[in-house]
Amino acid sequence: MLTRLFVLLSRLRALAARHRVDEEFDDEIATHLALLTDEYMRRGMTSDAARRAALLAFGGAAQIKEQQREDRGLRFVDATVQDLRYAVRSLRRNTAFATVTILTLAVGIAAATAMFTVAHAVLLRPLPFPEPERLVEISEVNPLKGWTHTVVAPANLADWRARNTVFTDIAGYIGLDDRGASHYRAFLFGAGETQVLNGIAVMGNLFDVLGTRPLAGRTFTFDETFEGHDAVVVLTYGTWQTIFGADPAIVGRTIVLNGRSTTVVGVMPADFFFPNKSVQFWVPVGVKPDLFARMRGPHWMHTVARLRPGVSMAHAREQMSGIAADLERIYPDSNTKMGVRLEPLHTIMAADARPTVLMLGGSVALLFLIVCANVASLQLGRGLGRAREIAVRRALGAGRPRLVRQLLTEGLVLSMAGTAIGVLLALAAPALLARATAGLLPLYATPTVDGAVLTFAAALGLVAPLVFGLMPALTSSRVERLSLRTETASPPATRAREMLVACEVGLAVVLVVGSVLLARSLYRLEQVDPGFKAEHVVSFMISLPHPRYDDAAQEQGFVEIERRLKQIPGVQAVGGTSALALRGTTYTSPATIEGRRPADYEQELRHKSVTPDYFRTMGIPLLAGRFLDAHDGPTNLAIVVNDALARAYFRGGNPLGQRLKFGTPGDPDPWNTIVGVVADEKQDGLDKDTQPEAYSAFTASAQNPFTFVIRSALSDEAVVAAARQTVRGFDPQVAITDVAPLSAVVAASIGSERFRATLIGAFAGVAMFLAALGIYGVLAYVVSQRARELGIRLALGARPQELFAMVVRQGMRPVLIGTAVGVAAALALTRLLASLLFAVRPADPVTYTVSLTALAAIALTACALPATRATRVDPLVALHED
Amino acid sequence: MGDSKSEILQGTLDLMVLQTLEAMGPLHGYGIARRIEQISDDMLSLNQGTIYASLLRLQQRRWIAASWGTSENNRKAKFYAITRSGRRQLATEAENWHRIAGIIGRMLRLAER
Repeated sequence: MLTRLFVLLSRLRALAARHRVDEEFDDEIATHLALLTDEYMRRGMTSDAARRAALLAFGGAAQIKEQQREDRGLRFVDATVQDLRYAVRSLRRNTAFATVTILTLAVGIAAATAMFTVAHAVLLRPLPFPEPERLVEISEVNPLKGWTHTVVAPANLADWRARNTVFTDIAGYIGLDDRGASHYRAFLFGAGETQVLNGIAVMGNLFDVLGTRPLAGRTFTFDETFEGHDAVVVLTYGTWQTIFGADPAIVGRTIVLNGRSTTVVGVMPADFFFPNKSVQFWVPVGVKPDLFARMRGPHWMHTVARLRPGVSMAHAREQMSGIAADLERIYPDSNTKMGVRLEPLHTIMAADARPTVLMLGGSVALLFLIVCANVASLQLGRGLGRAREIAVRRALGAGRPRLVRQLLTEGLVLSMAGTAIGVLLALAAPALLARATAGLLPLYATPTVDGAVLTFAAALGLVAPLVFGLMPALTSSRVERLSLRTETASPPATRAREMLVACEVGLAVVLVVGSVLLARSLYRLEQVDPGFKAEHVVSFMISLPHPRYDDAAQEQGFVEIERRLKQIPGVQAVGGTSALALRGTTYTSPATIEGRRPADYEQELRHKSVTPDYFRTMGIPLLAGRFLDAHDGPTNLAIVVNDALARAYFRGGNPLGQRLKFGTPGDPDPWNTIVGVVADEKQDGLDKDTQPEAYSAFTASAQNPFTFVIRSALSDEAVVAAARQTVRGFDPQVAITDVAPLSAVVAASIGSERFRATLIGAFAGVAMFLAALGIYGVLAYVVSQRARELGIRLALGARPQELFAMVVRQGMRPVLIGTAVGVAAALALTRLLASLLFAVRPADPVTYTVSLTALAAIALTACALPATRATRVDPLVALHED
Repeated sequence: MGDSKSEILQGTLDLMVLQTLEAMGPLHGYGIARRIEQISDDMLSLNQGTIYASLLRLQQRRWIAASWGTSENNRKAKFYAITRSGRRQLATEAENWHRIAGIIGRMLRLAER
């Protein structure tokens, strides 16, 4: 055994140093021959005779060297090297074939690798925490309120911590909007412009649950969760580097955050983020301990918990459900029907992106199969052209396995070249993707080409030759020796190519149908009226530095800013709102309608505060009553409701004059009188129905930050520049963020839909092109093979149209078969797309009509070219060819 | 081949080389070949070149080791020496050889009767 290993090692070593070893052996033999010659000369021979005698006695030196070389090396490796050389030489002779094949493969591999880069970043790469699989998110569910996955009430969280035995600990944090981006802002006042940092407010035990040690300093203690101990901050590595210039004495340094002296206690490692990369710092939530323990009504905490070692998810779910049931009994007012939902943290983080990533991954897989089918067809075509060569090699004694191996090696060479180019293309992917997917990928995922991605590409490159090469290799190597002279089309090869065309068409049908579905869905989405007129409106968010602006000052500040904005020449209208539509921020409160049973309306109501001119600026029409005006405010509590609220809560009754309060029936909140009804504006997304919402005067509940909208005839840039100047003139420390034309806000809200529709559209386009290429390739070959027959037919009086139709019929046969199979597959597969579609059914007849028409047109075009050539065959030339 | 010379039996050359190196100490290829010819009184038909296939085989199995030195005519030459595992192998092979030679001898004697 060991001896065998020694032999192998020695062979490998010899192989690695083959030239040196060869030279050494030459020297050794030369010495041997010299010694032998000397011996013969000693015996009295002349030097010439002695040399001849020595060579004779030694035996054929060349054979011995050759034998030595064979014994020394690995026969398999030698043969492979030989195959590779042969493959490269033979491909170099046929550059057109090699180029087309390599480029086709490169496109397939680049697309697949780029998609894998994304899938890896979003779904596969483990989160950067110790034992991330033990991290769990706990949310609350309540069928009464329609909650399926809701942030939790702090008091519930406190009770879970006290009662459970399945987690090492549970931590909470706040400050994320509905899309997972941080909206907890901190203002860092310094010499220059006020810096705005995004962060989250956390419970002190968060870092202990996550399990990551800080790079410098420490993380929070549990006590620091609460008011009085919370003037501390932990920074990300990036914040430390960029905002604080990598200050080596950062730990312990006091910074002024939101006007408050805060001590930097720690810096996290460079690769650490939580819960995503938009977060630049962590501060404690800073609540009063007793408030924390009592707050069971408002739900505002995200959670993360770490399972104890060995505790299963199922066990944790069971125990937590039990605890939730106990709490339901103890606190029926707040906790009736309140359940818990436990999911792995990674699952929750990837939840939004998963369907898109899987859909695109599946599309790329289909595309890759088409690429392989196409290359296989190209190889078969080439095999036909090489029939003579293959027949000669067989005649010379090459066994079929040896030929198959040779042909597969050739495939490998092609695939490796394609992979190399594909990987180079894919290297550009992260940058391209970053631009194309800005804000679309989950914020924790950064696609990078790393070892795993390269391994994937290499594996693809190695497997591809088997996928596309085995069948052609088997078919081509079956060339009959006797057919050498005539070299006619080998029927099995043509049939195999037709089969491949059918496969390509089938796969293309699936991709085309999928892309048309998504395109139609996107179109429908773009047609949705957002409920406001986005053109000529710009929006931006203004944050007043907290400590200098108390509630009254905030209100005055915003009033003054609005007044000054209105004076900008060319501005038609200015309004403000606490939550701009389609931006992912909503506020909800419990609500009670006077004189109505709670069962008659939903008790959790969306609301936002707006300035009187908000509706006019946004172009939201008034349906009944009046808009808010300057007299509405804390002393005159008037609200405007949307149509959805009027319909859902009053069902045709007149809502005007009715009163509503933000609180449960028993709460002492003041009543607001409904003075107007406005048309619905979209809130969470164009694809979501508008929910009931109430608008109150911002003077009644000022919000900081506040978003302004400006309608004007000026260009967006001009308005923004003028607005900036105006705001700076009011107070240079005010932060202006989230500047965007309203139409861009609308477009961004369907960015991921547009992105995936564009991407799958591109895939489908490539798929159709490849399928057309496949159809054309086979048919062109058939026509060239049948030129003589066609010529004879023409000479015998066949009409060109008949020949044309005949060729097209032959070309369309595999297309029809492929289409039938493809439609069946599409009907089955596109059902998986249902969750990604808006206002289009997966089995949408229009989609199928459009897709199949497009495919038919392209297939017919691909057939028409060779068919036209068939009608132009010159009988004389054709007959003279052989 | 002439009547007076014997073909080398497959596999026996390795044994001869090992035994030669064991008896004579390090030798170069020519020396080994000469020695084998001398011992056999030139009764063996040996292409001296074939010795190198055997030397490679034995080296690959680490039964002999090679090092560069200078030959008696002042040329660069590779010297081969038997290794510890080579000695063990030689002992096993020699015993094997004696046993098989004994068996074959006995069979031939029986056949002659």
